[in-house]
Amino acid sequence: MAVADSVVAVVAVINQKEGSPVIKKKPKSVSKALATATCALLGTTAMPVQAQEEPAWEFDTSLLYYSEDDGRVQDVSIALLARRLFADDKILTLGLTVDSLTGATPVGAAPLDVVQTITRPSGNSTFDVAPNTLPLDDTFLDTRYAFNASWQQPLGRLYNGNVGISFSKEYDYVHSGVNAGISRDFNKKNTTVSLGFALSKDDIEPIGGTPMALTPMLDVGDLSNRLGNETKDVVDLLFGVTQVISRNLLVQVNYSYSDSSGYLSDPFKILSVVDPITGDTLPRVPTPGVDGPSHQFLFEGRPDERVKHSLYTQAKYYMSGKVLDISYRYMTDDWDIDSHTVDARLKFPIGNASYIEPHVRFYTQTEANFYRATLSAGEPLPLFASADYRLGNFDALTAGAKYGWKTGSGHDISFRLEYYMQDGDVPSGQLIGNQLQRDMYPGLNAIIFNFSYGFGL
Amino acid sequence: MSNKKLYSMKLIFCVPALLAISACSSLGVEPWERDVLAKDEMQLVTDPIEAATDDHIYFSKEASSGGRGFGGGGCGCN
Repeated sequence: MAVADSVVAVVAVINQKEGSPVIKKKPKSVSKALATATCALLGTTAMPVQAQEEPAWEFDTSLLYYSEDDGRVQDVSIALLARRLFADDKILTLGLTVDSLTGATPVGAAPLDVVQTITRPSGNSTFDVAPNTLPLDDTFLDTRYAFNASWQQPLGRLYNGNVGISFSKEYDYVHSGVNAGISRDFNKKNTTVSLGFALSKDDIEPIGGTPMALTPMLDVGDLSNRLGNETKDVVDLLFGVTQVISRNLLVQVNYSYSDSSGYLSDPFKILSVVDPITGDTLPRVPTPGVDGPSHQFLFEGRPDERVKHSLYTQAKYYMSGKVLDISYRYMTDDWDIDSHTVDARLKFPIGNASYIEPHVRFYTQTEANFYRATLSAGEPLPLFASADYRLGNFDALTAGAKYGWKTGSGHDISFRLEYYMQDGDVPSGQLIGNQLQRDMYPGLNAIIFNFSYGFGL
Repeated sequence: MSNKKLYSMKLIFCVPALLAISACSSLGVEPWERDVLAKDEMQLVTDPIEAATDDHIYFSKEASSGGRGFGGGGCGCN
């Protein structure tokens, strides 16, 4: 099954160490346009790399355990990042991640005070949801493999360029992408301007096919409203400026633009069709002798294009041994989702070789303009609708800490434990009748545990 | 991409770039004052795997992604 709510890890990473990713090789016209656009410059936030003084190969490895409560998504992820440092500051980066996902995820249907039977996304069987319980599909199971590679090198004295590829594969989803970036230093390397772009093409291949938007969930074996596989294309552009303010302070500001087009719905999410007075999901009778949904559900449907704009700013401040890392991101899109993210971490040295780093992150977003907790049988069918809680109005908080140390042989070891929680609301105007007494929005509580080990050869 | 869009993009990228470069020219340090900035913990991303892991977690649980870089995409989780 697939991945409706996963948590995977890594990937797309590439040159993050230098602050800006990027990579690739791409159609000529776009390269040309970008080159012109950037006029003269652009650079990754790249910091100077002391290639000759470091080991030829550096490895970062990580084991992640992510666990949501109430039997929801669990992810065990192993990641490896290898960097080969060549002479002249040329760097090859290779990343590999394997995720193993299990657990249950909300399907979008509303809770009800009777048992609900729902057809699984594959169309092959059904499952029951207990009364007054948030409907979860417990066949959430997948393994994801992700690979990325990038090459970075100086281009003359002031420029730095990088190209890369990314690829990932799940049972029912394939991603492939390319990216590239260039940066230029100014003002004695105190200012770095960078530009990057990434293109990706994803194939969505759910078992049983992708459901047609806003058509009913049918009996087991009836795939008459399913289409074949779908695709999604994403174009990302990033423009950034990194500025050294003083000996102890570094600031970065990025603007990014992202255009997604194609199949942007989640083929596993549905909405309940409810009575306009009581708010209860309308019953349905399966064909005699065949299993099928006990109530009326429609598959969700989202627009086939989404444009996002983000402004991201980060500061790093050194305070006699301690390092404050603080960032803020504003995102807005044409689905009317606005979000604010504040992230702060403070690294305290403990003795000569170890440290502790507390971390807090606050996130808030408004709901998409087509977010609907349920659909009322009394109203005309909207053009788009989704009850996916991730498109709803919610706040999230992450809090935790990392503890790490350097071994006698120079290896880096760290443990990180964090708690992540989401809390949201259905816009009050959307709640009908009995829904006012029910918990209509699934909260989320999760533990994030990380073990990391880094070494050079 | 249309010519008009391209033109707009040129403006979007060039104007802030030029403004930033001119505004920032008085800031910064001399090359011999980079001892602190050169430390590992002063890099913008100190732990690339952790950054990627977090990007992916939040990509799959929230409606926003990216910002620092191209964030967390390429999975059927969102």
